[in-house]
Amino acid sequence: MESILFYAFALLAIGSALLLVNLKNIARALFLFFIVLFAMAGLYLFALADFVAITQIMVYVGGVLILMLFAFMLSNKELLKDLQDSSGSFLSMPKWQAIPLALGFLLLMIYGIMEWQQSIPTWIQLSFENNTQIVATDNNIQQIGLRFMTFYVLPFEVISIFLMMALIGASHLSRKERNR
Amino acid sequence: MDQIAHISPILTALLTVSAPLLAFLYQVVRGKRDQSGIISLIAITISFVCGGLTWLSIWNKPTISIQLAWFTIGKSTFTVGLLLNNLSTLMLLLVPTVALPVHIYSRAYMSGDRGVHRYWMYLSLFCFAMLGLVIMDSLLLMYIFWELVGFASYLLIGFWFTRAAAAQANKKAFLVNRIGDLGFLIGLAIIFAQFKTLSLVDLFGEGGLIYQCVLINGQWVSPVNSMDQIWLTLAGLAFFLAAMAKSAQFPLHVWLPDAMEGPTSVSSLIHAATMVAAGVFLLATVFPLFNDSALLFIAIIGTITAASAAYFALGQYDIKRILAFSTISQLGFMMVGIGIGTWDAALFHLTTHAFFKCLLFLSAGAVIHEMVHLKEHSRLDFDPQDLRNMGGLKKYMPKTFILMSLASLALAGFPLTSGYLSKDSIVISSFEWALSKGGLYFIIPICLIMVSILTAFYIGRLLFKAFFGEFRLLGQLQEGLQNHPLHEAPKTMLIPMFFLGLCCLFPVFSPNPLSYHDSWLMDGLLLDEYTFAPSHLAHLVIPLLLLSGSIIGWIIGWKWYVHHKYPLDPDSGIQKTAFHQGYINEFYERLFVNGTLKLAQFCYWFDRHVVDALVALVRFIVLTVSQWSVWIDKYIVDGFVNTVASAAYWAGNQVRLVQNGKLQTALYSVFLLVLLGLIYLIFF
Amino acid sequence: MITLTHFLVVSACIFCIGLYTVLSKKNAIMILVGIELMINAAILNFVAFGKYDKISYGGQIFGLFAIVLAAAAVAVGLAIVLNVYRHYQTINPDEINELKDK
Repeated sequence: MESILFYAFALLAIGSALLLVNLKNIARALFLFFIVLFAMAGLYLFALADFVAITQIMVYVGGVLILMLFAFMLSNKELLKDLQDSSGSFLSMPKWQAIPLALGFLLLMIYGIMEWQQSIPTWIQLSFENNTQIVATDNNIQQIGLRFMTFYVLPFEVISIFLMMALIGASHLSRKERNR
Repeated sequence: MDQIAHISPILTALLTVSAPLLAFLYQVVRGKRDQSGIISLIAITISFVCGGLTWLSIWNKPTISIQLAWFTIGKSTFTVGLLLNNLSTLMLLLVPTVALPVHIYSRAYMSGDRGVHRYWMYLSLFCFAMLGLVIMDSLLLMYIFWELVGFASYLLIGFWFTRAAAAQANKKAFLVNRIGDLGFLIGLAIIFAQFKTLSLVDLFGEGGLIYQCVLINGQWVSPVNSMDQIWLTLAGLAFFLAAMAKSAQFPLHVWLPDAMEGPTSVSSLIHAATMVAAGVFLLATVFPLFNDSALLFIAIIGTITAASAAYFALGQYDIKRILAFSTISQLGFMMVGIGIGTWDAALFHLTTHAFFKCLLFLSAGAVIHEMVHLKEHSRLDFDPQDLRNMGGLKKYMPKTFILMSLASLALAGFPLTSGYLSKDSIVISSFEWALSKGGLYFIIPICLIMVSILTAFYIGRLLFKAFFGEFRLLGQLQEGLQNHPLHEAPKTMLIPMFFLGLCCLFPVFSPNPLSYHDSWLMDGLLLDEYTFAPSHLAHLVIPLLLLSGSIIGWIIGWKWYVHHKYPLDPDSGIQKTAFHQGYINEFYERLFVNGTLKLAQFCYWFDRHVVDALVALVRFIVLTVSQWSVWIDKYIVDGFVNTVASAAYWAGNQVRLVQNGKLQTALYSVFLLVLLGLIYLIFF
Repeated sequence: MITLTHFLVVSACIFCIGLYTVLSKKNAIMILVGIELMINAAILNFVAFGKYDKISYGGQIFGLFAIVLAAAAVAVGLAIVLNVYRHYQTINPDEINELKDK
């Protein structure tokens, strides 16, 4: 049951991503991206990262995707062009040269993974031996909160400042210029 | 006079030779501006004077020679030098003495001709070559001058080169002379091989190499070399071949009658008096070289020549051709003189012959000159040299007639003339020679006697036809010309003729009109010993025989030609053969000319179909191979290079595409490199 | 049983798809989408490994950091895209070949 669900999510993520890449219509592609993100969030759950999965959905779906849709719609000329172009064919393969490169990377990585299986790092071995893995019954959110406030407090603060800077910068960049 | 005699004979001899050369060079430079020939005349006068002085100081005195080293090939040094002895100085005197009257005569005869400047130029060149020929000490130099003489003769025969006949004649003369030149060259080579020197003094001088030769066991041994005996005969025959061509001996005489296409004055000087005598002179010079077989051969050829030429002369109608054949005939006499060993007699005949034959030609020239004038005035078309158009000229040109008769008498050997002395010397000597040998050898003197009578007959025929009877063209002439169609020759032509006429008389050569032994010339050249005993009977009988034969001949001729009682059929075979000169020309035409043409055609065919085919084959092969190599070069060698180049170009182009300033391309390159780097790190 | 390898393979696939998107798309927004896919693949790896790190929870924490960073990047990137569009009237990266003002 668990495996079937994992495979379903994985297939959903990969299939949606493939479709998203090959779609011509950007609006549809963006919605497919939404599905990919959901599927990814599902996959996080299988890694027992429930908080990350929730954050993923909140940040991406609630923020990033909305932003993207806005940007898409604001660049209205592109929208029109894409709508016109879509009359031709459903799929598009603009730069085929990228396909072998991507496939090369994929093969290389899978090869790396297969090689890596033969020599699992010691800390993973140790966690197996000491039985110190995260298990489904752990209270992850509490643990993460504790870590943030203790062990990771400096990165946490830095990232909050960084996030603020990004927001300010983004709003500055996208402001309307008065004198033009 | 004494002081003049003290001038070095070598100097005067050199002056004699170089004066015509300078005249020639002067006229070459002047070209057409010099029409008068005065320069040539002055030059020949100088030659005459200097030649006379040389002769005076050398004649019957010791031989003078001078030699300078000329060039060295290997170990043999060739010398250049002068040889002045009785023989050469005699020729040195004779040539300008004959040439001077001819020069004076030519001033009138050639005046008005458009190419007259060339005429004087050639004439000077000829005089230079002939004078050089006689005094040169080296056989090599003699050969050079021999060629020069031939060349000058070629130029003068073809003087009117616009006439086809003249052009043909000079070609013929030149070609036939080349055969003789070949003989000279072979003789030269044999002499050089045997003696390692070509100097006449060394070879034939007193105690020269030629006298030191001995014949041992069939070997011809000289102080420096020895070779088979046959070479001695061959050397003699080779030199005789040279003389045969130059002196027009049978069967190489064919060029001389044709050479009459040149101006008559030229014929008189070159083809009667001097150049043709060069062969006799050469034989006299190299006389010690001849052995018995060579001498016999010379005598036989001389006899054949004398007889055949006299026979051919009978059938000719062209006045100059008759004289040409008589020249050949007389040259035959001289050859017999050489052949029987009495080359002094031959030289004597040469000298006297030079004068009277020159006079004959000049007289004939005067007649032709007048006939040409008549032809121009009357606008009739006739051959001015044809005897059949003449007749009765005695009335119009009495002085010419007297002079020509005198020369004819000399030619016929009539007593009181120079010809009598010289001709009898040869005939009597030959008789004595035959007497000493006996048997078949008598054919030669008998032939000579018959030829002498024939000579008298044909020259009588010429005289009778030309000067006696009625002028044959009189009927065809216009009114105004009928009374006096012809005139005496101008004075400038007559004076030299008178001079030559004087030289035809006996006192010039001998105080005794009946005995040639008293002649100063024979004294000067006198050989030490004859090979035969003198016969007093011959001295009495033969002249009488000749004289009576001649007189009978003349009487017959008078009846036949003057009284028109000609008994023979002019179309008979004998006559025709004589007219066609024994068909020798036709024979040569068939044999040599056509043979050469056939050979040439065969060679042409061979060249065309075999050599060319080979060439074409080679060409085809080369072409095919080259096409292959072109293909290989183009598609394999070049193809390789081009492939490399285009690969480089293509690669460069591909790399260029990366640098197109586009974001994704740059990114692509980065990832590609990362991928390649990873592959490298993992797998290698 | 779902092992680590399963996660790794899936994330590799997603990463490559993101890479392809980045390299091939002619639209700046889609390039951003590709970047997001690659980041998501990375996050998946983080959390997958984080499963064996109960003490420090490094995987999950860094996954969260990455999500935040990605969000910030998207915000800035989209702002830039909008500005670019305003300048050039296009968001095709091939046609954007200068950074200075017109």
